[in-house]
Amino acid sequence: MLEYLAAAFSPLNIVFALFGVAAGTIIGSIPGLTATMAVAVLVPITFSMEPGSALILMGAIYTGAIYGGAYAAILLNTPGTPSAIATTFDGYPMAKRGDGDLAVSVACLSSVIGGLVGALALLFLSPPLADAALAFGPVEYFWLAIFGLSLIAALSDGDFLKGVIAACFGLLLAMIGISETSAEVRYTFGSQTLLGGVEVVSALIGLYCIPVLIDLVATPERHLQPPEAQRGFRLGEATAELIRNKWNVLRSSVIGTFVGALPGAGGSIAGLVAYSEARRSSKKPEDYGKGEPGGIVATESANNATVGGGFIPTLVLGIPGTPPDAVILGALLVQGVRTGPTLFTDGASIVYTFIFGLLLATVLMLPVGLMIGRFAYGAIVRAPKSALVPIVAFMTVIGAFSIRNSVSDVAIMIILGIIGWVAQKRGFSVSPIVLGLILGRIAEQGFVQSWTIGDAVGDLWGQFFGRPLSLVIIAMTLITFCYPFLPQIRRLLKKGEAPPADEVPQVGKGSKIGEIVSLVVFAAVGITVIYQSASLNAEAAVFPRTIAIGMMVFIVLALLRTVLTGRGHGVTLEGSSLRRIAVPALMLVAVALIPIFGFALAGLVMGLGLIIVAQHERMSPQTLVILVVCVAAVILSFTFGFKDLLGVPLPDGRWLG
Amino acid sequence: MRHAFIAAAVAAFAFAATPAMAEDFPSKSVDYVIPFGPGGESDITARFQQPFFKEKFGQDLVISYKPGGGGAVGWAQLNAMTGDGHSLMGINLPHIIVKPRQGDVGFTTDDITAIYMFHYTPDAIVVNADSDFQTLQDVIDFAKANPRKLTFSGSGKGTANHLAQVIFDEKAGIETTYVAFKGTGASVTALLGNQVSAAWGYTTVGAAQGDKVRLLAVAMEERHPAFPEVPTFKELGFDIVSGAYRGIAVPSSTPEDVRQQLSNMIAEINADPAFQKQMIDGGFALTDVAYGAEMDEFLAARAEEYIAAAKTAGVID
Repeated sequence: MLEYLAAAFSPLNIVFALFGVAAGTIIGSIPGLTATMAVAVLVPITFSMEPGSALILMGAIYTGAIYGGAYAAILLNTPGTPSAIATTFDGYPMAKRGDGDLAVSVACLSSVIGGLVGALALLFLSPPLADAALAFGPVEYFWLAIFGLSLIAALSDGDFLKGVIAACFGLLLAMIGISETSAEVRYTFGSQTLLGGVEVVSALIGLYCIPVLIDLVATPERHLQPPEAQRGFRLGEATAELIRNKWNVLRSSVIGTFVGALPGAGGSIAGLVAYSEARRSSKKPEDYGKGEPGGIVATESANNATVGGGFIPTLVLGIPGTPPDAVILGALLVQGVRTGPTLFTDGASIVYTFIFGLLLATVLMLPVGLMIGRFAYGAIVRAPKSALVPIVAFMTVIGAFSIRNSVSDVAIMIILGIIGWVAQKRGFSVSPIVLGLILGRIAEQGFVQSWTIGDAVGDLWGQFFGRPLSLVIIAMTLITFCYPFLPQIRRLLKKGEAPPADEVPQVGKGSKIGEIVSLVVFAAVGITVIYQSASLNAEAAVFPRTIAIGMMVFIVLALLRTVLTGRGHGVTLEGSSLRRIAVPALMLVAVALIPIFGFALAGLVMGLGLIIVAQHERMSPQTLVILVVCVAAVILSFTFGFKDLLGVPLPDGRWLG
Repeated sequence: MRHAFIAAAVAAFAFAATPAMAEDFPSKSVDYVIPFGPGGESDITARFQQPFFKEKFGQDLVISYKPGGGGAVGWAQLNAMTGDGHSLMGINLPHIIVKPRQGDVGFTTDDITAIYMFHYTPDAIVVNADSDFQTLQDVIDFAKANPRKLTFSGSGKGTANHLAQVIFDEKAGIETTYVAFKGTGASVTALLGNQVSAAWGYTTVGAAQGDKVRLLAVAMEERHPAFPEVPTFKELGFDIVSGAYRGIAVPSSTPEDVRQQLSNMIAEINADPAFQKQMIDGGFALTDVAYGAEMDEFLAARAEEYIAAAKTAGVID
């Protein structure tokens, strides 16, 4: 063992680990640049390296990227990587109330602990955990997805009915494209882009980030309040939070390790499951979603634990646990390293060198992460709106493009952003849509596969409800689902008191019409799905049709509520509507310009337009020049960085490169 | 090794015959788009080619990904790329034949200008090491006694795995149940976890999983060099040679001489013994279908076979 330790800690490997963590953190913090992509970019470089060092570099980038995803989640309400979805739930509210720096430090400490737990599990528990992961069959994946969906109740901002409708909408979005289990083309309306489905990462960026940008330009107030005095890293407070959440961090790390070890689940689900459990077991679950550091602790420790966890099936079974693992596995194959059962015996030295390297990288993430985190916080807090909005908008565009190298994905991202903004204003929160989108395909695949197997062996009921592991997940789902309603149920049982008034307020006539219109729009989506399902084969149709029918039931209930009780959501908009509309409009114009002007010039046009939109007070010509130069410099350096360093094939225009 | 020899001969001949064609090609790095995500067989084999391309032709082969719709998103955009030979895209069979017949996927088989098919992953029946099935006959006997009860995992619907299951069921006179998973990884996970009775996988699964699994038969002309003890379907009386074939296509605007030259270049990589060793160790099987009449014949023969099987499988009308 000791010689492996020495090999891992060679000066060269330490440099690789340090560089990897730093680069990964920066890449992960940019929405749209995922850990998968960060690792894929490195692959050709690693060909000329020792396999052990190559693994350390890729592992370090991977773990850094998963942590870096927290910055954008906390400071911009946009998960930098899908793993950080649940970080937005509490991170952004914390940033809003001025605790963004604390949130970043809490995320860093949690990530380090989660990463260490995952890596230690990889070191000591790999074979048994790999066997445990294999016990997870299609049915368990199905129930795991349903368990994830049970979070809806907690994420609906007090309006459960609308939360469910939004989740159904998300599930239906996930059904678009060629179905994996039936090979049918579904709900694409003739679009070639939609053949591949709605891309999850760009959808996340759209749904979370665009609404923030739209509301940002409407008023002259700052995005985040800068701290009054220099406060340092607030490491003491962050440590205190972690001590307060000691069970939370441990439980979440274990959840993250195990979910990471499940091939095909990944960091986003690990974060959601850990968040759900943290909330359920908290003494004050109502604080979650409103800026409770425990929510960040849960998500960030769980998602970094998936790094070590994900390597378990990758190295033991030769089956990638998470998408970045798939890339790493491929790189190893090219280098002639056989992963799989023989690796731990034949190639033990590489495995142990790598695991120690991963531990080293995780520890290095503490200083590196705190430092970069502080810089990110400072930059976002201090930047004037008229710089922040164009730069962030450009990052969402280039990020959404880079995932599948597709301009159409950028358009989809912006349109989903508009949908997300409108839905939010009408009381449908975005998070249930995202839950549905992420879990939809996993749920469907698990369901259809279980159905096929159950049907073949002649025991459908036993397949879905007869497996012990499934029963455990079902029980957990029921508990999580009912938990938010517990106070109401308890009050109901006690003395037969009248149930408390719905949290949804009474509204005037205007809002009532708005409420009905929004429900009718969702109903139209549901009806379209049901109608189109008629022409699909049974395997492709069963899941979306069931969801759409369920959605219609909830829509009818919500309509009845509005019509009979007059309850609904009023919309109050502060600030300029014109500026609001200008944000997505300018972004869409930029997308249309890309084929003509090329990426850089279209980005500049959008950026300059957004400076005007986001700037409220008059500016001196000098300030304006500085602002324009800065924004243009950032946009151009991003464009060339993506193109030349990351090898993203950004389209050249017909006129200009 | 026979394939390799032919490839070398073909390459040598082609180079001798066409000495002065487009000599300045490649004049810059060549983009190689994989219409799938990173980490799959298409990516891995492209990565295998990458260093050989650089070594032999002096320019970088730059791999990028355009995943979506099981490759359809990429292929739909193939002909919009610049046709000067510096833009290539990976292609896969049966995908490019079956997908356009399942609905409007934005391209037809004829839209794709295939210049070389360089390898395939032969279909194989794989069972868990602790399975009771020792031979292919065991599987057939069980399936005959228990119609539809035998479950096979496999990667996707309308794919090589799925069509192999359909063809084999037909030839063996049995009825089994095919369960589609997302990719080979998920399919093998289900097999290792005993969620299914067996898997329709590839020889690569045997290479990756070692002692954990047992291959019962492989769909090749001759036995795979990495698995000399595993019989072919042919030896056992079933005329099945199939798998997922992978190759390279260019935009339709690419000039004829550049197509030919690229075909020769890929052939040259395929003929390199070091490349061959990497591929075979990984469980892949090399094949050499060059641009021209040979390719047309190959694609036509495959199309006939795949379309018939896909119809039986109910994935196309």
